[in-house]
Amino acid sequence: MLKSKKVTIVFIVLMCMIVGLFGKTIELVFWTHEDPNRTTLEEAYIAEFQKMYPEVKITRVTYPSSKLKEVVLTAFSARKGPDLFNLGMQDSYPYIVNERVTPVDLRVLGLESYDDLLSMYVEGTLEPVTYEDKIYGLPLEITNFCLYLNKKYFREVGLDPDKDYPKTWEDIMETSEKLVIREGEILIRRGFDFRYPAYFSEWLPLVEQSGGSLFSEDGQTAIINDAAWLKALQFMKDWGPQGKNLGSPTYQPARNEFNRDNNSVTMCMSGLYQIDRIKAQNPEFYQSGEWMVVPYPVFEDAVSDVRCNYSGHYYMVNAESSKEKQEYAWKFIDFMLSHPEDYFLQVGLIQPKKTLLDSEAFTNYPYVDVFMSDLAKSHSVPIHPKGPQFEQLIREAVESVMLTKTTPEQALDTLKKKANELLQEE
Amino acid sequence: MLACVVRGVIFIKKKTGIDFIKKKTGIEKKKARWGFIFTIPAIIFFSIFSFYPIINAFITSFYKKDLLSLSKPQFIGLGNYKYLIHSESFWNSVKATTIFTVGTFIPLVIMSLILAVFISSRKRFQKFFQMAYYSPALLSSVVAATIWLLMFDPRGLANQFLNFILNTPGKDYKWLTNPSILRLATILVYFWKYIGYFTVIFITGIASIPQTINEAARIDGANRWQVFTRITLPLIKPTTLLVSIMAMTRCLKTFSTQYLFTQSGAPLKPIDVITLNIYNTAIRDHQIGRASAMSIILFVIILALTMIQFKVSKAEEVQY
Repeated sequence: MLKSKKVTIVFIVLMCMIVGLFGKTIELVFWTHEDPNRTTLEEAYIAEFQKMYPEVKITRVTYPSSKLKEVVLTAFSARKGPDLFNLGMQDSYPYIVNERVTPVDLRVLGLESYDDLLSMYVEGTLEPVTYEDKIYGLPLEITNFCLYLNKKYFREVGLDPDKDYPKTWEDIMETSEKLVIREGEILIRRGFDFRYPAYFSEWLPLVEQSGGSLFSEDGQTAIINDAAWLKALQFMKDWGPQGKNLGSPTYQPARNEFNRDNNSVTMCMSGLYQIDRIKAQNPEFYQSGEWMVVPYPVFEDAVSDVRCNYSGHYYMVNAESSKEKQEYAWKFIDFMLSHPEDYFLQVGLIQPKKTLLDSEAFTNYPYVDVFMSDLAKSHSVPIHPKGPQFEQLIREAVESVMLTKTTPEQALDTLKKKANELLQEE
Repeated sequence: MLACVVRGVIFIKKKTGIDFIKKKTGIEKKKARWGFIFTIPAIIFFSIFSFYPIINAFITSFYKKDLLSLSKPQFIGLGNYKYLIHSESFWNSVKATTIFTVGTFIPLVIMSLILAVFISSRKRFQKFFQMAYYSPALLSSVVAATIWLLMFDPRGLANQFLNFILNTPGKDYKWLTNPSILRLATILVYFWKYIGYFTVIFITGIASIPQTINEAARIDGANRWQVFTRITLPLIKPTTLLVSIMAMTRCLKTFSTQYLFTQSGAPLKPIDVITLNIYNTAIRDHQIGRASAMSIILFVIILALTMIQFKVSKAEEVQY
């Protein structure tokens, strides 16, 4: 008896030694942006995935969304990037063209070709991560903005929100003039205000609706159709403190104040996720039914019915991680993204998978039809290796007309010159 | 860092009488050797965390290098420097940095000296004043800028205060939009944050003046003003030099306030200081070679201005 016990102990010790010597753990480092709801969900997926693959250990690290791109960039420039991470559409592109990320591993996903992958997603939503016929990322979320409005303040100024909600940019201006409350030059309540850093997604469609564009079709010239740009710039001039003083980039973001329902903002532009944020920040306002969502406005004489440009975040895998890590990283991404309904219902993120869009949970969600109808008329934000620099130039042009005496013509001249110089720069 | 070295050199020289230029013999030579041995850890630390990055930046400044590209950087000689000389954006940054530095550094030095004299002359509440003025320096620059951002919001305290004082109800002073006011706003944040820090350094300098000198002057019939201008001011010359170099280098390296302000909707051009331009060139544009060239130029500017201050002040002439 004693002898058999000893043998068992020796056997266990030997096994432990063998496992210790030869059994290896594959550690995956996963960087993403902060989002408390998503953290809960993804931590649960990590635990589940680690159970399925005990040899894998995943470390999930979060950074503030404004910091993530800097941290990932610095790490990649030092060749110490995480195994998997997510970035915004525009920020992802330089990683793809510089071959710092690996194409989607079709074998791991159990697919035969890229066509099989494309057939799973809404048309066009994988284009921003497609380069030289390969697909380099899978979408965590796709976002387009629509107009949120507070019905209470509409009624307060004698407007019927269901009938009088703004359909055109001209309506936005007119309605805002009725809704605004000023104390001298200071805006106490704004009718509407823009999302000022979002020039590519929210503001560029104003130009595109009048037939303008950022780049020519051959991509050799920037700032196309002066009349369209001038019209959009003039609108901002009229909007800002130098014009009718209806809004300005230096006020607190409109979408944050909208949730508070504190008589400081009546309308703002945001994504579907805003509904969950209203619910979390101000349940009383959410329950009151005093808010609604309507489509992105269009100019009265628009030549193109384009709506808010959509942006998104994509999961990608580091091309310098070992083959084994890459394989597990794609397995894990595929595992996470196989729960689009959870992401939608618990975090408010739209993963453009056809299965989600056809699901009951999605179609029954409030205002989803408004967002989807707009999405069908929109395209992605411009994808270019120098995208952030172009967006900065547009920002300078818009803010110069809004905040200084610069005329739209002067701002356009400067923008055109700088944008084309940037485009020609090697 | 440079200021620490300056302070160290002045201190060692004052206390030990060691002049690193003149040849010393005997016990002084031995002292100098030991002095050097004690500085070895600091030299190693500086070599790893300061000298190596400076040399690395200097070398990188001669290359065209994209932060994300894996291809070999392309040697372009003085290409980055030539580009900067012709760059409108770089000269705008030089202008923004100069305005900020001159607008902040001079009032900082003068006001901190005045406050230090005021606090040193108090018999009561000296510690309280020191703590009160010093406390903003303990806040991180990001927190300080965020607090001020809320105050500069058109509906914030800054407008309310000015409207109350000047009896201009409803006026928006455009703290974050008017270029001149925006520059003033960044100066205010910096001034508020560092005034206490430099005041405390001046207080230390004033306290190190032997009381006997002041008493002798009083006995000889000097009034308060004469004691200040003829005794205090000349004897705190090393402290004034230290404060002016520290304040100037800090102002030239300012970043967080301008970064946060531009992130919150303020226009970039008026406050696009060199450090912010370096950051945008590297992080937004991925042009690390060009950003390194700007860093080297900033380094040379700081070094040159520090040397000029040394020459002008002749701090080593102070003797008790």
